[in-house]
Amino acid sequence: MESQSNEKFDAIIVGGGLAGLAAAYTMASTGLEVLVLERGDYCGSKNVTGGRLYLNPIRELFPDLWKKAPLERYIAHEEVCIMGKERSLTIRYDGSELNQEPYQSYSILRGKFDKWLAKQAERKGAILVTKSRVDDLIIENGKVMGVMAGGDELRANVVIACDGVLSFVAQRAGLRKPAQPKNFAVGFKEIIELDRGVLENRFNLEGDEGAARLFMGDASAGKFGGGFLYTNKESISLGIVVGIDALTEETPEIKAPELLDKFKQRPEILKLIKGGETVEYSAHVIPEGGLKAMGKLYGDGILVAGDAAGFSMNIGVTVRGMEYAMASGYYAAQAVIEAKKQNDFTQTGLATYETLLKNSFVMQDFNSFKESLEVLEYPRLFQHYPELAGNIMKDLYEVPAGPKAKLFPTIKKYMSMREMWSMVQLGRRMMKI
Amino acid sequence: MNIVVAMKQIPDLQQIRIRNRKPILDDVALTFGNIDKNALEAGVQLKEATGSNLIVVSVGTEALEDTIKEALAAGADEAYLVLDDEIGDMESSSSARLIAEAIKKIDDVGIILFGEGSGDNYSGQVGSRVAAILGLPQAGYAKSININGNIATVTRSLEDCEEVLEAELPIVVSVIADINEPRIPSVTQILKAGRKPKEMLELDVTGDSMLETISNLAPEMQRKQIEIETIEKLLKVLENEGLLRR
Amino acid sequence: MAAILIYSDKTKLAFELLNAAQLIGKNTDLTIKAVSINNDEQAEELAAKGAETYKIINPELNLADTGAMASALLQTAEKLDADIVLLSSNRRGKELAGRLAQVFKAGCLTDVKSMQTENGRIECVRNVLGGATVAIQEIISDKKVIAISPKAFPAAADEVGGTINEYVVNIIPSGIKLIETRAKAGDSVDIEAAEILVVVGQGVESQESLPAIMEIAKNLGGEVACSKPVATDKKWFGEERILGLSGKICKPDLAIILGVSGQVQFTVGIRDAKTIVSINNDEKAYMNQMADYVLIADIKEVLPELQKAIG
Ligand SMILES: Cc1cc2nc3c(=O)[nH]c(=O)nc-3n(C[C@H](O)[C@H](O)[C@H](O)COP(=O)(O)OP(=O)(O)OC[C@H]3O[C@@H](n4cnc5c(N)ncnc54)[C@H](O)[C@@H]3O)c2cc1C
Ligand SMILES: Cc1cc2nc3c(=O)[nH]c(=O)nc-3n(C[C@H](O)[C@H](O)[C@H](O)COP(=O)(O)OP(=O)(O)OC[C@H]3O[C@@H](n4cnc5c(N)ncnc54)[C@H](O)[C@@H]3O)c2cc1C
Ligand SMILES: Nc1ncnc2c1ncn2[C@@H]1O[C@H](COP(=O)(O)O)[C@@H](O)[C@H]1O
Repeated sequence: MESQSNEKFDAIIVGGGLAGLAAAYTMASTGLEVLVLERGDYCGSKNVTGGRLYLNPIRELFPDLWKKAPLERYIAHEEVCIMGKERSLTIRYDGSELNQEPYQSYSILRGKFDKWLAKQAERKGAILVTKSRVDDLIIENGKVMGVMAGGDELRANVVIACDGVLSFVAQRAGLRKPAQPKNFAVGFKEIIELDRGVLENRFNLEGDEGAARLFMGDASAGKFGGGFLYTNKESISLGIVVGIDALTEETPEIKAPELLDKFKQRPEILKLIKGGETVEYSAHVIPEGGLKAMGKLYGDGILVAGDAAGFSMNIGVTVRGMEYAMASGYYAAQAVIEAKKQNDFTQTGLATYETLLKNSFVMQDFNSFKESLEVLEYPRLFQHYPELAGNIMKDLYEVPAGPKAKLFPTIKKYMSMREMWSMVQLGRRMMKI
Repeated sequence: MNIVVAMKQIPDLQQIRIRNRKPILDDVALTFGNIDKNALEAGVQLKEATGSNLIVVSVGTEALEDTIKEALAAGADEAYLVLDDEIGDMESSSSARLIAEAIKKIDDVGIILFGEGSGDNYSGQVGSRVAAILGLPQAGYAKSININGNIATVTRSLEDCEEVLEAELPIVVSVIADINEPRIPSVTQILKAGRKPKEMLELDVTGDSMLETISNLAPEMQRKQIEIETIEKLLKVLENEGLLRR
Repeated sequence: MAAILIYSDKTKLAFELLNAAQLIGKNTDLTIKAVSINNDEQAEELAAKGAETYKIINPELNLADTGAMASALLQTAEKLDADIVLLSSNRRGKELAGRLAQVFKAGCLTDVKSMQTENGRIECVRNVLGGATVAIQEIISDKKVIAISPKAFPAAADEVGGTINEYVVNIIPSGIKLIETRAKAGDSVDIEAAEILVVVGQGVESQESLPAIMEIAKNLGGEVACSKPVATDKKWFGEERILGLSGKICKPDLAIILGVSGQVQFTVGIRDAKTIVSINNDEKAYMNQMADYVLIADIKEVLPELQKAIG
């Protein structure tokens, strides 16, 4: 049953994730007619994230949004844990700036946050239709004119592709090439509920304080990637990220879900999640990120934002993408607002998008982190050094039955000339991040 | 003729979680009960067959203003809503009284459709109560409904038999899930739903309370959860417990 | 003296109501009165259980006319000074409960699966939220209509002292005509009576596995039941074998559950079983948490073995 809506929207947004909703909210605020199509049962139902949102770069873009936003906890304690197979070394950082308003970053749960953001966009007048998947684009004379969804033909001046990492829409519009698996990582994550009191005790949290912990090394079986843990109000977000390549190059292949199970069995983790109940399990592909993974950002009648555009940065242990998604959604909206003033929705009319991005933290970040991926793919970082650090610590702290060895020889034992040399090299690479 | 369908807004049962044996309903999306969707579909089919107008009547919290779009998209022409946030978990007797009052405001009602039971409470009372208040004939557990002129023929499914009942309109009918497969509305239908008329009725929602809930907890489940590796071992265990004596 | 009135169209269920009424009666000073409508035999049988029985015979009173039935029961309750009416929660009884409650100005609970009486208070236990939770509820209005789930109570024992009184009510037909009654198609299996159930879920991927499963159930002296989609989507079985919220609630000694994920709407139907075995290839399946013994295996692979051992 095909039917045609006689209505024409200013913009149709494909995907009600953070990028799509930020764009919808921004456009609807200025009175544009916006339709958001989201295939999930509700916004946030299928969206996976580690769970940490940095507010500083985007606070000003949505000044009215934050007061009532369902943010879980502001991150007041940072830890990095370097995990060897049997031992680990943890570095903890507390800084007064982490405990001062405006707080830098918050843990969030997408199920709640996206649903709420969707409500805000609807309040501004955006129309949101969930359980609705876009199957195709309407392209006439090379210009995108609208979308097809479940047999319905829906038309708009501009389509904004916010359909996430494997963006079918951007591909269909010829802005991106089909993805290569080797360019991707996968993330697995559980949300584990814990009694609020127990959680605050376990992580030494007061009030709305939250903790972030990153795990390098054995968390991802020594592969490029890592583990993360964020505390929410009454739950923990726990997960791992690992490159697809790294998994398949082993024989037998490493099964990523088992990695998460193993990670959960680590004594360091086990005691943190004890007594908790897993209430959500999810897996998601992560773009490799970086400038190289980025496609074209716009065409005639179309813009691409968020993960769909490749605005996600995988630095191994964690991924950053949410604030890029929201910011790029915002700038895409600004570009449409501008295009509407000129009544020009061609590439030329939409080019402001690129200018806006270039002048913002989004492209500036991606430029300065250009090298980061290569550095991080340096295998010693995820396997060798975690073992090394653990072993040094073991010898430092161990008091054997006999006399304890002197400190210098202990360290020297691990720090051969070769070792030192490779560390220098790593240091040089790291400087580029 | 007007066809009326009564639909109840309930929390999406798939999303309810239990903590400390208590159901957690915050943040659970609201929707209509599955069987109420069957009632709506039955209404849409009758509307198409008889060229009638289809009105959904619903009593619930203010979120209903949003939830009702689902029904308007799936084929209802208008909605009569009784909204009240205070009332929380309304008793069947109050819902029935309000639904009946709403129906009294509609002219030329031919058939009033209900689900066999609401998704959350599943008490199967409201339809019967409304029929009693309005003094109408009723046919429960319908698996098919036909309207010919001003006569309704309903085939209903009981535990051990099927009955074919007939009555002059207006009649109250409750349906079972087997009656049809509810259609999924398209985006354009959803868009049009936003513009269909919604009547907010100002009715006095305070009613006498007839029920008291003493507790409402998930049942305590204490199962052994012993993992067994083979069929052979499994059968041995069951044998030892005297469960396979035959 | 005030009374409890019981009525069901099904004699077997009326016996269960009698037992339930006796339980309430024990803790209160209410007398028990039974009604039978257009059913001589039922009146006799109720009297044989010691019940003070009121027999209404009137060919104009049609059981399918819920309005007229409610009015007949209302008149009887008022005449006999009954504040509490117990009905059976089969489909006919449930439909009647709401209508009677409305004209009787009573609070009403249906699908009641157990009751406790204390200090004259009757606490009723029933599933809510699709079976996710079990609520204990009390009717606080003076008049009460309680519809009790089939099999929630055992049948009352035989007792002496029963009487049969003929009783006449005004019939006020509501306009429903019964055109035809058809026996229901499908086998007449009674999974509620079975002591052992072998349960087929969607994890039983092929219909070809069914004969083996039927044989296993038969050799165990049990019956085959199924999850809802197996009956309604796949149509492998009739509806009478469905376990769960919209099917039957069973309490067998042993339930062997093959490939069921364990959604709450299903588990309400089996969670009272004494011993539960779950065979599923997904160790995370919720059904496994509800089981005493769990075998993580592919049904295709273990079924032949099971058949060999039991078949
Ligand atoms: C394991 C993991 C950990 C991460 N950790 C962090 C972190 O801690 N901090 C951080 O900032 N970022 C993190 N990220 C990245 C971040 O989650 C993403 O960058 C962000 O979600 C991108 O938002 P988006 O709106 O572009 O895409 P998404 O959130 O993926 O939204 C896309 C939406 O489009 C919908 N959709 C797709 N196709 C269609 C279609 N055809 N029709 C209709 N709808 C469609 C989808 O259902 C979805 O709702 C993490 C990612 C992963 C996987
Ligand atoms: C209002 C309402 C009322 C409902 N009432 C009922 C009801 O009364 N009864 C009912 O049953 N449902 C009912 N449902 C539906 C219920 O929610 C579930 O959808 C249904 O019980 C699922 O059936 P299933 O477990 O057989 O199938 P699935 O959920 O598909 O589960 C199949 C299971 O088999 C396992 N499996 C798959 N292949 C294999 C294999 N080869 N070997 C071993 N294991 C395998 C899978 O891991 C999975 O756990 C109701 C739903 C609603 C909304
Ligand atoms: N609040 C309500 N608003 C509209 N319809 C309702 C409401 N409550 C119950 N119903 C209808 O009555 C039927 C039976 O409900 P219940 O008696 O709660 O099992 C439902 O399937 C609905 O069709």
